[in-house]
Amino acid sequence: MAMKALDIYKLLPKTNCKKCGFPTCLAFAMKLASGKVDVDLCPDLDEQTRELLGGATRPPIRLVGIGAGERSFAVGEEFVLYRHERTFYHQPGLMMQVADTWPGERIERIMTRVRDETFHRVGEDLSVDGIAFRCESGDADQFGGVVGMVEACASLPEVVIADDPEAQAAALAHCGNFQPLIHAACADTVEAMCDLARKYGCALAVRAGDLEELKRLVGLCRDRGIENLMLDPAPATLRDFLVRSVEIRRRAVERTDPDLGYPVVFDTVPIDLPDAATALGILKYAGVIIIDELAPSSTMAALTLRQNIYTDPQKPIQVTPGLYPVNAPTGSAPVLMTVNFSLTYFTLLGYLEAAGIPCYLFIVDTEGMSVLTAVAGGKLTETVVADAIKKTDLENRVDHRILIIPGYAAPLSGKIEEETGWEVRVGPRDAAEIGEYLETGWEA
Amino acid sequence: MSEEHNPEQGNRILEVSLGATTAEGGTRERVYTVGGAGTFPFLGAGPAAGHPPRIALEICDDTRTWSPIVLREVGDLAGDTGAWAAAAETTFGADMVRLFFTSTRQRGFDDFASLGTTMEEVIGATKYPLIVEGSTEPGIDSEVYRRIGEAAEGERILLGTAEADRYRSVAASALAYGHALVAQTPIDINLAKQLNILLHETGLPPERIVIDPYTGTLGYGFEYSYSVMERIRSVALQGDADLARPMISSAIDSLNVKEVREADPETADEVAIRWEFYAAFSALVAGAEIVCVRHPGTVALLREALPALQEGSHPQEEAYGDESA
Ligand code: SF4
Repeated sequence: MAMKALDIYKLLPKTNCKKCGFPTCLAFAMKLASGKVDVDLCPDLDEQTRELLGGATRPPIRLVGIGAGERSFAVGEEFVLYRHERTFYHQPGLMMQVADTWPGERIERIMTRVRDETFHRVGEDLSVDGIAFRCESGDADQFGGVVGMVEACASLPEVVIADDPEAQAAALAHCGNFQPLIHAACADTVEAMCDLARKYGCALAVRAGDLEELKRLVGLCRDRGIENLMLDPAPATLRDFLVRSVEIRRRAVERTDPDLGYPVVFDTVPIDLPDAATALGILKYAGVIIIDELAPSSTMAALTLRQNIYTDPQKPIQVTPGLYPVNAPTGSAPVLMTVNFSLTYFTLLGYLEAAGIPCYLFIVDTEGMSVLTAVAGGKLTETVVADAIKKTDLENRVDHRILIIPGYAAPLSGKIEEETGWEVRVGPRDAAEIGEYLETGWEA
Repeated sequence: MSEEHNPEQGNRILEVSLGATTAEGGTRERVYTVGGAGTFPFLGAGPAAGHPPRIALEICDDTRTWSPIVLREVGDLAGDTGAWAAAAETTFGADMVRLFFTSTRQRGFDDFASLGTTMEEVIGATKYPLIVEGSTEPGIDSEVYRRIGEAAEGERILLGTAEADRYRSVAASALAYGHALVAQTPIDINLAKQLNILLHETGLPPERIVIDPYTGTLGYGFEYSYSVMERIRSVALQGDADLARPMISSAIDSLNVKEVREADPETADEVAIRWEFYAAFSALVAGAEIVCVRHPGTVALLREALPALQEGSHPQEEAYGDESA
């Protein structure tokens, strides 16, 4: 179970000696409770307390790194089941597969795509994270050859998928030094796979459809000194993955089952519902998602979903108030007022860009409330609008005095006119109608 | 502690019935019950799993603001609301049609008689329960909802949309003509609760309300909607009866975002479908009982994915299940 700061405090020496780097034991306890520091910083704990506090305050899911170099990433160190409880920290890596039986051009095409294809969205470059090599030939030399070929032209994080330790060894001879994920050890191969993981110092996935068997495999690996582990719950359907992954995450974050405190790998390929499986992996706790060759339309949507889900939910749903030019407006362009609720802003902006009409989006501060709520709650008033006009120097930015307000703010139109001296026009309630509204003559 | 593992408490999402058969005073060949789940989506077994979610295809009576990608895809159907509605059920495989009376959103709309005619046409052309969206202009709400409600009397349609400052006309129509209602609040759990309480005061029974926490588009605030749905489901399962209602989700602006609009015409359909699919599928995982999309191709993808999420050896049957008496 996770512990509260006060319960942790009770177990500390209470000498406030500051050796941990915090001014008091209580301050240290609070940091521990939030999972932000390691218990080892306090040198004055007996072994038993150290272990107890460590178990209760270390991240319940181990951080596991994959790949070397620029594109490398780490997964795990998560704390919650639902992002609204805190946030999700380490987004899953999407690994596009190539099989060693495929023609060279196909492998090369995928490799090039993964290496070069990026989408730019709100200040971030989004791309598929790496390559997953799948041994389908059953031939160690052939598998090794394909890995060697890709290795020669791209330095990408990798997953090596082969049940046969010999095929693994052949692949790792080419890429083992770049921290690929070895996928996957099962009951028969756990020893040989552990040897390989130790030799190259890379992470190892264990695979079993049954959680008790997964735990047993984890135990075997740990007995052999292998701690950088991931769990593949071997789902045959979307529901298998959902149920197993949720159970693994639940037991891990509740700290009832430390043997399940590892990130999950989701091999979506056998399920044959590429979009659904990828989305489900993103939503439900996968750390590594092995995908088939998805078209750019799919990867773009998947990466956008990942970006959304891994956004910190504490971040306010607001945009900065101000005057935003859309489609290069001049001084005679219409001014459309709205609130600083992000969704309203983004939606309206989308329609305005689509309509291609030059205009100004005039965002007033309603503390992130939607038009409806802001009007009802008194956050959107004539004074708020008048202040915003002054702050943005609106009178000198445009050469007219006409303000278009949202349909839902219609009850305020008279008051805004009085307070600001601007002429108020009531626009549509639905953002989808804004283009037509502007085209059919807002000046009339 | 996680929030959903409280099977002892046995809290369930309220069941809402949509559509009415001839025996019940309507003309539907199928009726649906949504809700009923006692766990987070797709995790429960047996009765706690609740009723299967439903996929709606959105259509409209005036296509001026509809996505050109969809209009290209459906071709002539766009000019014939009845035929479009029929195709949604038969050709495109949707569980239900969601008809938007977009005509009422044009400035100066006054052709109220057309609403009844179109409504009757769509009722005649379809066999499954219907969702119908009226005006967004308070000045005409009362007339619009009266006409729609009356024309669909007895069919137990899901009528939308009630909002905090304008719910009386919709609620009055739902009450007078025996329909269910969509109650929308902008991604805020407390506002959702308040609106349900307001609606309760109108006399509309809770088992006739589906809540719409508002769905932002993928890449444009979708995460807020995803989490508000998870939170609503979570507090509902903890026993908050005002929020233990089925949810409807529609990322209605999906096809207007830059990524879709500016897509290469060659791949525009694929992009549009994916943009809708990733949001709708995620909404299902977060707890939506009804998801709505506009591109027929998205219905097909969802149709394919749903059985794989559902329990049992005959998920296909369950997904398409006919629950009429
Ligand atoms: S090092 Fe230990 S005893 Fe000293 S202040 Fe920090 S927590 Fe307290």
